[in-house]
Amino acid sequence: MNILVLGIGQSLRGDDAAGLEAVRLWRETHPQTARRVRVETAELPGLALLDLLMGADAAILVDAVQAAAPAGTVIRVGPDELAAFTPDAQSAHGWGVAETLQLGRALDPALAHVRVTLLGIVGKDFGMGAALSPEVQQALAEAAERIEAEVQELLAGERG
Amino acid sequence: MKTIEVPALARVEGEGGLYIGVKDGKAVEIRLDIYEPPRFFEGFLVGRYLQEVPDITARICGICPVAYQMSSAYALEKALDVRVSPPVRALRRLLYCAEYIESHALHIYLLQAPDLLGVPSALDLAAVAPEVVKGALRMKKIGNEVLKAIGGRSVHPVNACVGGWYRWPDAAPLKALLPELEWGLEAAKECVKWSLTLPYPDLEIAYEFVALHHPDEYGVIEGEVWSSKGRKLPVAEFETGYIEEHVKHSNALHSHTVDGGHYLTGPLARLNLNHAQLMPAAQKALKDAKLKLPLKNPYKSLIARAIELVHFYEEAIALIKAYAPAGPAHAELTLKAGEGAGATEAPRGLLYHRYKIDEHGRVQFAKITPPTAQNLPRIEEDLFALAPKLMKMEQEAATLTAEHLVRAYDPCISCATHFLKLKIESRE
Repeated sequence: MNILVLGIGQSLRGDDAAGLEAVRLWRETHPQTARRVRVETAELPGLALLDLLMGADAAILVDAVQAAAPAGTVIRVGPDELAAFTPDAQSAHGWGVAETLQLGRALDPALAHVRVTLLGIVGKDFGMGAALSPEVQQALAEAAERIEAEVQELLAGERG
Repeated sequence: MKTIEVPALARVEGEGGLYIGVKDGKAVEIRLDIYEPPRFFEGFLVGRYLQEVPDITARICGICPVAYQMSSAYALEKALDVRVSPPVRALRRLLYCAEYIESHALHIYLLQAPDLLGVPSALDLAAVAPEVVKGALRMKKIGNEVLKAIGGRSVHPVNACVGGWYRWPDAAPLKALLPELEWGLEAAKECVKWSLTLPYPDLEIAYEFVALHHPDEYGVIEGEVWSSKGRKLPVAEFETGYIEEHVKHSNALHSHTVDGGHYLTGPLARLNLNHAQLMPAAQKALKDAKLKLPLKNPYKSLIARAIELVHFYEEAIALIKAYAPAGPAHAELTLKAGEGAGATEAPRGLLYHRYKIDEHGRVQFAKITPPTAQNLPRIEEDLFALAPKLMKMEQEAATLTAEHLVRAYDPCISCATHFLKLKIESRE
């Protein structure tokens, strides 16, 4: 099974870097697992997300999100929930991850079969040049363990 | 789980706002407010070593990182009196071709075409015309592949530096892309034909066009800053002709010419001022299109982009065929205190940088004038011209029409952020 772990976010925009940092930490703490999968990071992938997903059977995207939950909360959006998500027309010119996935799936059967899971880390400060907020900084360890658990589950499925 | 705002995914900063004030049925005030990151970066760069600048400024835009790398590299090379070798320069043009291919394919098909075809988004376009969108993604992907082959990765290429390249990219992966580029060239020719069939709204504006001009090639890197009003300035004197000013309603600076007029930079300006320097296939596409130049309809910048797509596929093919790296990949830098300006043509228009550095190569001052800041007052003026039409429309149609105009300019916000909030306020 071809598994992709992708950290998304802008490194100079405060908590937006949460996804990049969580993937970096996971790589450091679980190098053995990281070697068995494809690991990528991207600052603003936009439609290039589709190219990154190409060839993967399953992907774990790690990104900062805004949500009605305390900063540092790690939220999992599973493949079925993400697939069911419909972007509203007002925002369809922006290229969020969900829109991009939907576009890819509409056009390419190969992408329709990639099981994509999103691990979202709730951020609060997305200002230019800001550092990670303490809440997000603290959440990185949990996020890294959640990545590990997701990958292990996929690898176990492969064996089973 | 229901509370998560998935479409936002943190990419919400920078919503554009458009405000139209109305009195006696006429628009009396128009304000377009766009968040703009370069202001932050100018401060962030101070104190950094010059070789960090191309990589840092590349992060300003996810769509045109190359433009920021190239303008900063040329400005800093000027400050150090460094000139790059011809092979270094040729590879810079190739990197830029890749960015144009990627950026224009995205804008033409996925950002502006939905407006012209009357569908709300690229997703809807994919539903009614999947082959068009598939073709667009394939065209765009070729740009990504070339960027990756030169720059190490496709989103923020990391190989460009002040003085040239950290290393020469291997020739084989680049040459392997030739068949796909040839396909892209044919697709781009078809794109021009298709672009001529689209229903552009009527709007002709007597613009002052401003673009980088080079006598021997389609102006992208180096050359003089030319205006359709006859002003010709070396890049080092750009700021004597074009002034940036702070305006109250926006945290983006607005530009005007030294005479006080607003000007247009971007594909229409380039095509109108530089069409004689297009490569042969692009020349032919332009001729066959039977267009009357100068093109003055902002919506038709899509046609200019399509013709440029032909040019940049064609140029990329020629550059890759000739690619045979020789000599050092970058010039040796001798540090000294100095100041330098550089300008290159980003896909969305002229991008000007100026830096002062100290004897250790640390940045003391940075100025970045992006194309969107230069076009902002022009967009507002166009909206004034459009306002009588907007007044007669329902809110939703008015918003879409205004959005389409703004989008036709391909401002940096059109892909990175969500879009306009239109507010029409009556003062009667």
